[in-house]
Amino acid sequence: MGKRSFYLETKDPIIKFAVLDKILDLARANSLWPITFGLACCAIEMMCASMARFDIARFGAEVFRPSPRQADLMIVSGTVTKKMAPILVTLYEQMPSPKWVIAMGNCAISGGPFVFEGQYNLVEGVDLLVPVDIYVPGCPPRPESLLEGLMKLEEKITGTRRFPVPEPKW
Amino acid sequence: MTMTNRVIEEFKAEFKSVDITEAPYEKQGYHLSIEARTGNLLNIIDFLDKREFYIVDLFCVDYQDYLELVYFFNTHRELCRIKVTLKLDPVKPVAPTISNIYTIARWYEREVHEFFGVYFEGHPNLTYLFLHEEIGHYPLRKQHVPVPDGDKKLLNSFRPHEEENSFFINLGPQHPSTHGVLRVVLKMDGEYLISAEPVLGYLHRMHEKMAENKSYMQFLPNPARMDYPGALLFNLAYVEAVEKLCGIEVPERAKYIRTITCELNRIASHLLWLGAFPADLGALTPFMYAFDDRENILDILEDVTGSRLTYCYFRFGGLYNDINEETFIDATKRFIERMRERLVMYDKLITGNVIFINRVKNIGILEQGQAKKYGFSGPVIRSTGIPFDMRKVEPYAAYGSIDFEIPTGHIGDNMDRYMVRMKEIEISLNIIEEGIKRLPSGPFKTEKVPKKLKPPKGDIYNAVESTRGETGVYIVSDESDTPYRMRWRVPSYSNLMTFPHLSRGVLIADAIATLGSYDIVVPEIDR
Repeated sequence: MGKRSFYLETKDPIIKFAVLDKILDLARANSLWPITFGLACCAIEMMCASMARFDIARFGAEVFRPSPRQADLMIVSGTVTKKMAPILVTLYEQMPSPKWVIAMGNCAISGGPFVFEGQYNLVEGVDLLVPVDIYVPGCPPRPESLLEGLMKLEEKITGTRRFPVPEPKW
Repeated sequence: MTMTNRVIEEFKAEFKSVDITEAPYEKQGYHLSIEARTGNLLNIIDFLDKREFYIVDLFCVDYQDYLELVYFFNTHRELCRIKVTLKLDPVKPVAPTISNIYTIARWYEREVHEFFGVYFEGHPNLTYLFLHEEIGHYPLRKQHVPVPDGDKKLLNSFRPHEEENSFFINLGPQHPSTHGVLRVVLKMDGEYLISAEPVLGYLHRMHEKMAENKSYMQFLPNPARMDYPGALLFNLAYVEAVEKLCGIEVPERAKYIRTITCELNRIASHLLWLGAFPADLGALTPFMYAFDDRENILDILEDVTGSRLTYCYFRFGGLYNDINEETFIDATKRFIERMRERLVMYDKLITGNVIFINRVKNIGILEQGQAKKYGFSGPVIRSTGIPFDMRKVEPYAAYGSIDFEIPTGHIGDNMDRYMVRMKEIEISLNIIEEGIKRLPSGPFKTEKVPKKLKPPKGDIYNAVESTRGETGVYIVSDESDTPYRMRWRVPSYSNLMTFPHLSRGVLIADAIATLGSYDIVVPEIDR
């Protein structure tokens, strides 16, 4: 791992259209299409987030696409093993730019509970493979956490936050 | 005369020079142990095959001086667990293959080969099943044993060869209907499947290796991550095994709460499947309804366990905390009432649907005769008409004192598997109701359990009925605070391996329906 420089560095375009870019960013941020890419336990919580109760559709991100060609957001929901790593990278490369990655759960962030001395099959963090925009911690994170991560990503794309930060209850 | 006595008598008559010993069942979880040698192993396996024994598990233990292959057998009619062991030389371990007799051994032996470096003479395809090509040693050996240079070719996983009139399709690892990261290489002739070969290990998280590096207490959260839809049941399998190994008593109240929460978890898991199965067939509406119901259970369980999905609620000798009598029981009762109404609705929505019936009826038929060759269990075996359920066969927790029936199918097709699971939801509701009625008061855990467990020397096999079938854990203890070897017998593994058999000559859409009806969970298979 790490030897391959696999992803294209996103460079600033030569010509910029300030207002148009802003409008496009706004459109992108509010219609993120995630790829249907469940890895492990976190995938169930990702599914829960897209179901009736948590309803990810409120934020325009309900269109889960089985094909990476139609998606612009990859939610890495689970442990990435050495056998899975090249496939994950291929999927990422197949997604059209601009694209974003959310590392969901401790496994995707750092290997989580499966890191121990002498481990032989784990990629300790998906950021060793692809650039990660948002980290959502938890084992597994609750659907609310994923939604908050999604909102953080929107903030990253547009520069402003659409929804207020919720007050903690305790 | 019990099965065990009969087997001993017949065995002694047939094999005069082989030792068969009766094991203390309460302590070790199996009735008989047989020490085989390379010369007579096949005869012994043949002997068991003739007496309708099915293969529970096949694995290896590295005792440093020698490697020990362990075969577990049991019957579907009566509980009679037999452990057959075969000692091997650690330098050049070679054993005869039993895959001609028990088909599932084809995959078990491949697994043993890649993790321990054992060679199986006569195996049709001894290539890697789980591991990545870069891993150059045998991971579960106690000492570092590199893979010999001559064997590097075996490291390559399944590589399809193109032929005329056929082509290959990779189903997975990223595919919406493989329920995780399963890869099946399909050889196709037009729309029809010629053969299918599962390739595993895309989510191999080294649970068995991890167990050797952690103490008994530290390993407690792991089982929940093996089978996350049915986390509590895996948790229970592990906790009960350690309790039996150390001789820890569990109070009655804890047993009942374990039963109730496990059954709630079973319904949650079946609801997840109920959403995913029609979704595989193209119907997305039940997905929404099922998840809505599932959230109700998650709320109840979150209240007691503190987590939504990967529960770690049971402790050695009891529970993490007691349930809140008022809120928990109230919420559960309300849920039972609601779920019974919803089941009627599901019946109208899915069971009677013509498209659904045409997609699942008479498709993917499993015969009863295959049961012993593959060792499949859970709803998959019950759909063929064999009433085999660990809750009845070997009652654990409070299942012994609660009466319930076992739903069975008729022909073992996809429809039967669907019907069995739907009935199971109903029966689980009854069990919960009965459990709540009988819930005794008293302590919820044993106080005397030490923080650092050091079980006596020995081994144990303990099985529970998880949502997918017989889940067993085999622990070898060497009196230290970490397990010497831990092996998980997972139901999805043997259920999935019937897929190559079922998918010969069927349409690809039907194969997807069959795969969906198994309700496999990949992290459980890969471990």
